[in-house]
Amino acid sequence: MMEFDSTHLWMHFWAIATAATVSAGCALVGSFLVVRRLSLLGDAISHAVLPGIVLAVLAGGRPGGAGVFLGAVVAALVTVWLTNLLGTHAGLAEDAGAGVAFTTLFAIGVVLVSALASRVDIDPGCVLYGILELVPFDTVPILGLEVPRALLAAATVLVVLVVAAALCWKELVFTAFDPAAARAAGLPVGLVSAGLLVATSLATVASFEAVGAILVVAMLAVPAAAAELLVRRFHRMLVVAVALGVAGSIVGYLAAWHFNTNAAGMIAVVLGIEYLLAALLAPGDGIVARVLSRESLRWRVACEDRLASLWRAEEGDAAALAPRTLLDRLAQARLVFGGRIGPGLAGGLTDIGREEARVIVRSHRLWEAWLGRHVALPLDHLHPPAEWIEHHLGAEVRGRIAADLEGDEGDPHGRDIPPEGVPSSLADERAR
Amino acid sequence: MILAVADPSFPSGWIPPYNTLVVAAGVASVGFAAGVVGCFAVLRRRALAGDAAAHATLLGVGLAFLLGGGRRDLPLLLGGALSTAIAALLALVLIGRWTRTRDDAATAIVLGVSFGAGITLLSGISARGIPGSAGLEQFLLGHTAGLTAADAMILGALSLLTVALVALFLKESTLVAFDPLFAAASGWPVTLIDYALVVLVAVMVVVGLPAAGAVLVTALVVIPPVTARQWTDSVGVMLPLAGLFGLVAALSGVAVSSAVPRMPTGPLVVIAASILLTISLLIAPRRGGLARWLRSRRTVAAWADGRLLEVALRLEAQGPFTREQLLAKAPGAAADSAFERLVRSAAIEPVVTRAGTPAWRLAVLGRELAGERSRRLAAWTEVLEAAREDARGHLTIDVPSPEAILGAARMKAIRESAAAARSASGPA
Repeated sequence: MMEFDSTHLWMHFWAIATAATVSAGCALVGSFLVVRRLSLLGDAISHAVLPGIVLAVLAGGRPGGAGVFLGAVVAALVTVWLTNLLGTHAGLAEDAGAGVAFTTLFAIGVVLVSALASRVDIDPGCVLYGILELVPFDTVPILGLEVPRALLAAATVLVVLVVAAALCWKELVFTAFDPAAARAAGLPVGLVSAGLLVATSLATVASFEAVGAILVVAMLAVPAAAAELLVRRFHRMLVVAVALGVAGSIVGYLAAWHFNTNAAGMIAVVLGIEYLLAALLAPGDGIVARVLSRESLRWRVACEDRLASLWRAEEGDAAALAPRTLLDRLAQARLVFGGRIGPGLAGGLTDIGREEARVIVRSHRLWEAWLGRHVALPLDHLHPPAEWIEHHLGAEVRGRIAADLEGDEGDPHGRDIPPEGVPSSLADERAR
Repeated sequence: MILAVADPSFPSGWIPPYNTLVVAAGVASVGFAAGVVGCFAVLRRRALAGDAAAHATLLGVGLAFLLGGGRRDLPLLLGGALSTAIAALLALVLIGRWTRTRDDAATAIVLGVSFGAGITLLSGISARGIPGSAGLEQFLLGHTAGLTAADAMILGALSLLTVALVALFLKESTLVAFDPLFAAASGWPVTLIDYALVVLVAVMVVVGLPAAGAVLVTALVVIPPVTARQWTDSVGVMLPLAGLFGLVAALSGVAVSSAVPRMPTGPLVVIAASILLTISLLIAPRRGGLARWLRSRRTVAAWADGRLLEVALRLEAQGPFTREQLLAKAPGAAADSAFERLVRSAAIEPVVTRAGTPAWRLAVLGRELAGERSRRLAAWTEVLEAAREDARGHLTIDVPSPEAILGAARMKAIRESAAAARSASGPA
């Protein structure tokens, strides 16, 4: 691992710029791969381009040069062709076919690198995890500035990818989301897929030197998958994926510098953390949001059930059952704290609490009456659905049901349906 | 096998040293077990989940190395590898259950991130120069040269244990692999068996680490079963055959890597396995490329023969015919060689006319064959006619007009060709 001191800030700048550029290109292509369920194409291609790169270098190409790009793209196409061949001719499942094709090509690449170590200027370690820290040492002069060659290659590829995506935007999106309709509409679906394949190879090869064959997989799939969790529109997903990729590269590089370890690996770890956070915190259907909404519903139901049972106890002039489960006790505590129930163990409903409880019992009995009249359920089947829906009926629905029942004052069990109360804060919550 | 080579009193001299032989035997049994266990990974489409688990092992190796205070103790390192491999599989399940992310992206995420974490940890360890950390790199691409005889015996024992487990639960695993719905309906705990198989694959991936390395060990689990599948349709044959292919691949990899300095074992094992697969794809009976090619050639030839005989039978109604007349009536690339074949088999005999030009007529054999062919064709026509009558019975209500679907031009073409066919078959 290289040690830098602060006088070499430029070195770090160039390395970070390279990582960010590479990452932006990968996130862009990766978004299309993720929505088309082709994430593992990136895996296959990144492994398989190795022999192409080695052979191209052996044939005299410069690492990062056009010849090497060509070799890699050819190797990528060979992998996909081999996978299809194994699928159609040997009847292999797609995962096994891909597993066979890319491991074999990668193995050939590693053996070539090891056997020709003296003739090919590729480090076997670099093949797997890249040496981002060495990128700034191989530069080309541009306008008097010593720009790393890897950055130049990555930037070129990024520009090509952005231009291609902008030009073929409509075709790419249509094909990604509804290939059958796109084909029916006369779009060259096969050509678009082949273009995506070439784009994936370009992004992979541009990243190869900086992050290696396997961590490219993370750069392709992780920011895109995280962005997919965060937003619902594809164009936003692209922007978010690129932003996550760039941010992950910068933070990852700095963390690797701080902990003195491999930068590409650390970038993958940071991207993984980004994905984890996205999965946890995504608005709407993130894990935290879902757990919260489920728990808050459970909590509200417990409170309302408690209120209703106290109300029924008052109605029948009996003592209410004591809360049994932990949730019931917590609900009781909250109701006392919120002024719905009077303090002390034997505290009954307060005025506000009685109002709210009446609305809940009203919902329950209205629903039972309505079911009894229109659905002809047996008497003992009316309670369970009403017990569920009493927490979800709003004032308007209650009004309509009451109008439908035409002043029928009792529920099927012969009890009175309590009148409508003043809307309370709990009812407001319910309306929401 | 291990006992035979482990006998130190065995006369040495031309045989390799004791350690090399034990390592070879250990790796051979790893290859065998990987092939056997891999069969279910392939049949159950879990190949890529195994790959994700394999890439995660590196992290476990690093953690176990730190936990063990920098000892290069193989069982400890493999224990660490197994725990992160299973954690990776668990992460796959959790992502599938809790997020909108689809399977393929989940696999890529777990694979890429866990490998990144492993690389980060191992680089950090080696940058701090912790003694003994140099050997950890062998888990990346596999290197059997560093294995001791004791290590190899552990690997061998673990391999035999997994094979024994597979043998013990063969019926259950086979059932779940081929018909999970039936298995579930019959009351088998399908999910449990499924998870057990995946864990077994993870164990195999870990045991295969020293031989093939984290990056390529999946190949050891995937390629031999795929190879064996080419040769057989029976699980009972596929399992040992896959084991055998795995064993041969592992042994060849070890042999070549010990002969070439600085050459990692993993890629060599994979290449050996792929060579076996390529050969199998070419020459396997029935499924192999060669067999398919021969079969399709035979089919084409049989068709050409039959068609030629049919035409010959019609031509003969006007007396002997020339070769040119025959081939003009039955064009096609295969007709030429079909003619030669029929002459050679004496289905067609030459008649020498006065002018000396040979004409031809059908021999007894040819007449029989042509008769049999037209009998079969007639029988099939009858069957199809009956089926058509049957189908016509269904066409009672509201069928759309074919013109509306096919278009008037296409309909006209169909009618014309049908009329042409009727007038051609009419006289015969």
